[in-house]
Amino acid sequence: MTVLKVRDLRIRYADNQPEILKGISFDVEDSDFMAIIGPSGAGKSTLIRCINRLVEPTSGSIELFGQDVLALKGTALRQLRRNVGMIFQEFNLINRMSVMDNVLSGRLGYTGNLRSLFRAFPQSDISRALALLDRVGLSDHVNKRADELSGGQRQRVGIARALMQQPKLLLLDEPTSALDPKISREVMGLIREIASELRVPALCNIHDVQLAKESCNRIIGLQDGYKKFDGETGTLRDRDLEEIYAMEVL
Amino acid sequence: MASLDIDIGRVEGQRALVRQRHLKMAAIWAVVFAFLAWCFHGTIIQDTDWSRIGGANGVLGSLGRFLALDFSLLPELVIPTIETFMVACVGTVLGCFFSLPVAWFGAANVTPNRFFFYPAGRFLMVLSRSVHEIIWALIFVSAVGLGALPGILAIAMRSVGFISKITAEAIENIDKKPVEAIRAVGGNDFQVMYYGILPQIYPVVLATVIFEWDINIRRSAVMGLVGAGGLGLTFFRQMNSFNYGGVTMVILAILLLIVLGEVLSHFLRKAVI
Amino acid sequence: MTMTETNPGPAPDSGQTWSRYGATGAATRHATLLAVLVFLGYSLHFLNVDLSRLLGTFSGVWRVVSDRYYPPEIAYVANAGYLGAILDTLQMSFLGGFIGVVCAIPLAWFSAWNVTPSRRILFPLGRLGVISSRAIHETIWTILFVSILGFGMLAGVSALTMFCIGFAGKLFADEIEAVDMGPVEAMRSAGASDLQVFVWAVVPQVRVAFTGIAIYTWDVAFRAATVVGFFGGGGMGWYLKRNIQQLENTKVSAIILSIIAMVLIAEVFSGWVRARVNRAK
Repeated sequence: MTVLKVRDLRIRYADNQPEILKGISFDVEDSDFMAIIGPSGAGKSTLIRCINRLVEPTSGSIELFGQDVLALKGTALRQLRRNVGMIFQEFNLINRMSVMDNVLSGRLGYTGNLRSLFRAFPQSDISRALALLDRVGLSDHVNKRADELSGGQRQRVGIARALMQQPKLLLLDEPTSALDPKISREVMGLIREIASELRVPALCNIHDVQLAKESCNRIIGLQDGYKKFDGETGTLRDRDLEEIYAMEVL
Repeated sequence: MASLDIDIGRVEGQRALVRQRHLKMAAIWAVVFAFLAWCFHGTIIQDTDWSRIGGANGVLGSLGRFLALDFSLLPELVIPTIETFMVACVGTVLGCFFSLPVAWFGAANVTPNRFFFYPAGRFLMVLSRSVHEIIWALIFVSAVGLGALPGILAIAMRSVGFISKITAEAIENIDKKPVEAIRAVGGNDFQVMYYGILPQIYPVVLATVIFEWDINIRRSAVMGLVGAGGLGLTFFRQMNSFNYGGVTMVILAILLLIVLGEVLSHFLRKAVI
Repeated sequence: MTMTETNPGPAPDSGQTWSRYGATGAATRHATLLAVLVFLGYSLHFLNVDLSRLLGTFSGVWRVVSDRYYPPEIAYVANAGYLGAILDTLQMSFLGGFIGVVCAIPLAWFSAWNVTPSRRILFPLGRLGVISSRAIHETIWTILFVSILGFGMLAGVSALTMFCIGFAGKLFADEIEAVDMGPVEAMRSAGASDLQVFVWAVVPQVRVAFTGIAIYTWDVAFRAATVVGFFGGGGMGWYLKRNIQQLENTKVSAIILSIIAMVLIAEVFSGWVRARVNRAK
């Protein structure tokens, strides 16, 4: 079943600047763990941020869970965002807050202003946060400050925060680029595992082609704002890679 | 040799540059001293009636009057000292409340509107700092009458500029990544501010508030000079009744309060940061 | 999949509990917050401040200003006498600032822990000098000097000097304490005296910063100079006092506006000069 339909997506930040995305279309099925590969500057981050409207596209359409994303405003947009978990390249944690508070902040979309003000999250959220921290292997670090952790641990906090949202889609923006190769594979493996356990589809920007081939079932190749490849991982040939990374080869 | 000529030429060029720089510095100092001489002439020579001061003996005599401490004033100092301290505290807290919207308006990245609120916020910051606390106090005394309230308001208004300026700068320099994360989980504007921005700026803001509070104790001690209560009023009365020993007592009380403030702010700063 | 379906996720009830602060932590926090609120509330009561009056204040200010102080009598601040007072204020601030900065440099040297010539005697003396001139507000200095030296600009200049010693002395001392100690050690190991260490190892490092602080000190001194006259020190403040006493409200508002304008000009000017000094370094 199709979760996400993107059609002819275009974006430019200002009138006098070139288009970043030049008419991208693709679908994500509910069983997909899909990679977006491409050289830096190809528009991967922008594409993924359009889907939960952290970035406003110029034209095109995005249909998520049967809803027209680009028509949403205010509360409806926030309700959509809370159904979409996002994991960031640089973790985007609140450094001065504890690990637990960072994970609980994943529930803010479900929490009223008064409860937010006193950081008084309901008991069910607290139990869920503890269970998730246990799942990502951080039970011993619950009350530490986020900036006391190592890179791999911080990304695990990021994962737990995204899962707190009980997401129906995961957006992963280069989740392992800030980590060293060994930790990268561990973290990617953990995300892959949890996504299949919870049966959540995922859309993942990834720079490392090898890692993409290992962890994803479908791959989209972007180059300079154009889609150059879209298919099962097994069908990706070296010729396709050459085309996607043409700029870098030259 | 040709290469030697070039070297000499370069040295000569550098020497000329150095000479030029010295000349420029000399010119600047000459202007400063000429200006200084004019200021000295205008204020101290023209405007001072030396015969009335009465030479060194006269000055020493006037100074001596301040040394006969009037300990009988001690009980009368307790309440004004407490009042001064309280006015500083309440004024600082009120100033913080006023600073919140001003900092919000005046921070370029979160301001609700760039064309109206942003310049308005910036203007309030400048206005608050460029009006001296005594003038603020005069304005509020004429608006709400005598008492502690005009002092509190004057201190609050005078504090807004510095607190909100530093806060706005801190907001402008925040790391945007946590803000993006809170927006991505579906947080509303309040949650973005409270979880994304506030944790990043609060150490800076608290240090600034403590710094300002420390200065406000000094300011609070003079509010009474224009009718706003506290130690300033006692000072004014002692001065008007020519009780110079009493004046010294008031100054000692002010010093005590300020030392207390320094010590407290030192510990507060440690506790907070 | 529709929005109403239950979201996937681990079983919510893991049965574990957690609280942000331990029992004592929470108690301390609440007690501190309560103590601060009680203190503020009690202060308002002690100072006889009525909160309802506080709320009415700003409309009150508006009413008073529009009834009595509007329109400001701009012509008054353009007359020769008042323009002379502006010049007087400028002269006082410059002279007070200059003498203050000159006195502050040795005091800052004494009171900088890393290079002070004597930690036992001069350090505490330097600190005392800086702290006590800072602790007493410029208006109190003015009143004291007026009572000793009589009305006039001499008292104003003296008060501003004291103010600037405290203001610049602290900033100078902070700057000296932050210098790189490498050159200091090099000079000491070469057998230099304390004064030589200061002149050869410290001054070159702080010269630009000191210039910036000195200009900033003048800016702040000018702001203070606008009110010393109110207490008998000469300049614009004296006109302010006289007109307040004579209830010439529209003149008072014109004077206040002129003070704000002059302070803004001084601030812009000092900012410009400081930027130039920083570029020239």
